[in-house]
Amino acid sequence: MSDFFTIALLTATLRLSAPLVFAAMGGLLSERSGVMNIALEGFMLVGAFSAAAGTYYTGRPFLGLLIGTGAAMLASVIHAFWSITLRGDQIVAGTALNLLGAGIPAFLLQRLFETAGGTPAVARLPTIGGGLNVLVPVAFLLVPLVHYLLFHTRAGLRIQAAGEHPHAAESVGVDVARYRYACVLASGALAGVGGAYLSIGDLSQFTVGMTAGRGFIALAAVIFGNWNPVATLGATLLFGAAQAARVQAQALNLPISQDLLIALPYLLTLIAITGLVRHATPPAGLGRHAATE
Amino acid sequence: MDRSYASALVRRVTLAVAFLAPMFAALVAVTPVSRAQDPVTVTIVTDTAGLGDQNFNDLANEGLQRAATDFGITPKVIESQDATSYIPNLTAGAEQGELTIGVGFLLTEAITEVAEQFPDDRFLLIDSVSEAENVASVTFKENEGAFLAGVVAGRTTKANKIGVVGGQKIPPVVRYVVGFQAGVKSVNPNAQVSVAYADSFEDPALGKELSLAQFNQGADIVFPVAGRTGVGSYEAAKEKGPTFLVIGADRNQEDLAPGQQLAFVAKGVDTAVYTVAQQVVENQFQGGQQSLGLKEGGVGLGAPGAMVTPEVLAEAELYRQAIIDGRLTVPSTEEELATFQPVNVGTPMASPEASPESSPEASPAA
Repeated sequence: MSDFFTIALLTATLRLSAPLVFAAMGGLLSERSGVMNIALEGFMLVGAFSAAAGTYYTGRPFLGLLIGTGAAMLASVIHAFWSITLRGDQIVAGTALNLLGAGIPAFLLQRLFETAGGTPAVARLPTIGGGLNVLVPVAFLLVPLVHYLLFHTRAGLRIQAAGEHPHAAESVGVDVARYRYACVLASGALAGVGGAYLSIGDLSQFTVGMTAGRGFIALAAVIFGNWNPVATLGATLLFGAAQAARVQAQALNLPISQDLLIALPYLLTLIAITGLVRHATPPAGLGRHAATE
Repeated sequence: MDRSYASALVRRVTLAVAFLAPMFAALVAVTPVSRAQDPVTVTIVTDTAGLGDQNFNDLANEGLQRAATDFGITPKVIESQDATSYIPNLTAGAEQGELTIGVGFLLTEAITEVAEQFPDDRFLLIDSVSEAENVASVTFKENEGAFLAGVVAGRTTKANKIGVVGGQKIPPVVRYVVGFQAGVKSVNPNAQVSVAYADSFEDPALGKELSLAQFNQGADIVFPVAGRTGVGSYEAAKEKGPTFLVIGADRNQEDLAPGQQLAFVAKGVDTAVYTVAQQVVENQFQGGQQSLGLKEGGVGLGAPGAMVTPEVLAEAELYRQAIIDGRLTVPSTEEELATFQPVNVGTPMASPEASPESSPEASPAA
């Protein structure tokens, strides 16, 4: 088994978890403030595409990252406006944004590059060794930051109040809408970074549908993590490790059914939920509108 | 809590389903190229990988565009966002035009169902066989082309380890994989081939991890048969360095990792689309099944890189002749691979240079 537990297995775990961590931290902030966010997948796709396109035009991956983050944040403004200002259904808004996230890059690929399916190759963000790009440590540093923000700052407590009981928060003068806007925009930006991670961090081009469901897995990680940043990190690491183990087992030709290996990350996740997370308690005000917004 | 989370969740799912279905249908992109006065409309319905897969959907489109130039047909492409849109997209194609082409094994059931509803329309199914009478089914002997790639890889590998990344485990992919394994085994029985299925044609990040793991376990050549997932294998080779090589599937993808493509297995999807479009224009269309291999020019080995020696190319040519002559039958399933025994095809002439005629064809295109 010495071929199995290698440094490469560890770095693969980090690489596979990092984009999930970005999107999950974004989703967690949004949901903690009371706004359901199933649009992470769409935000990631917008971020992935815009980062690659931005890098293509500027020639500088860091500018591309900025553009990708900004574009995904812009998409999240739509979600915030619909869900908070218009007091619309947050699931409908999220669904629409996921569809936009799938459709807009495909459309822009035709307009900007006259191709379908993928951008030309672009420059990548620098690596820090071991095949890890510069965003990997950022992802893991983000977790204590979000934890500190939520539980040890005034703003964090107000975010929680907005998510737990928006009416009560309003009654003591908390501007619920403002905190919710900030959190939804943060979720867009972070999911956008998660998308940029894929297109210009891990790879050097955008391809259509390249997030392959990672936004939904990130949302699942938030729920398994019971809306707690550290536990959510655990959930993303579990999934990343399972995926890395599956990849390693396949590369080693271990005599295990490929179907079982492919299902392994999802099976482990299922076992983890049923075994560990018996009582998921979402923020009480999740999906509820404030009295006056 | 005046509304339980469970009911919120149920509402999420119900709404998502209710809204997703029609919206996906609306998202389907129809890309007509206007040639208003032309009588024959040919519609391609892609599988979920869609245009830009740098693989067989793109190839089908190339054949379609060539047919548009040469025969003046009206070409249309409908990209399928998900598996549930195959039937609506094929139906749209049948309602609008004379020939509807389903690109890919994944459309087999859908095209059979739609063809039975439109008995007077004509259909072409690529990569699979439909029982409906008005469907022409074209499959390829990918195993024969991949066998030659296996010969080249088996002779070129220094590590005696080769990785294969499959998209989904469907018959055309399996034909590629087992043909390749048989080719490697024929010239280098000591080489290990490890096969990993990604279970997706659209996840390049996963494809990269799979190939990185194969390289890290000692492989020096990888062979992705996985659509856009395979883009990740090229990225992995680029990251590892110039001695790590990739074999392309379906079409030349050298630009993804210049100088690191060992060769590619060419698959004449474009030729099939072009030929059947011509048959429809000339009223020569026939349903039924045909399978195109090395003999028919349906598959081949293309663009061998500079690292492939003339001796290896000459040997690949001997195998090509043996397959065309029927002296060597390339396995097409895992069962056949298990009982496959290498065949002696003779040794290439000792001459250090292979004559130009003996190089495998660069492309099977007609």
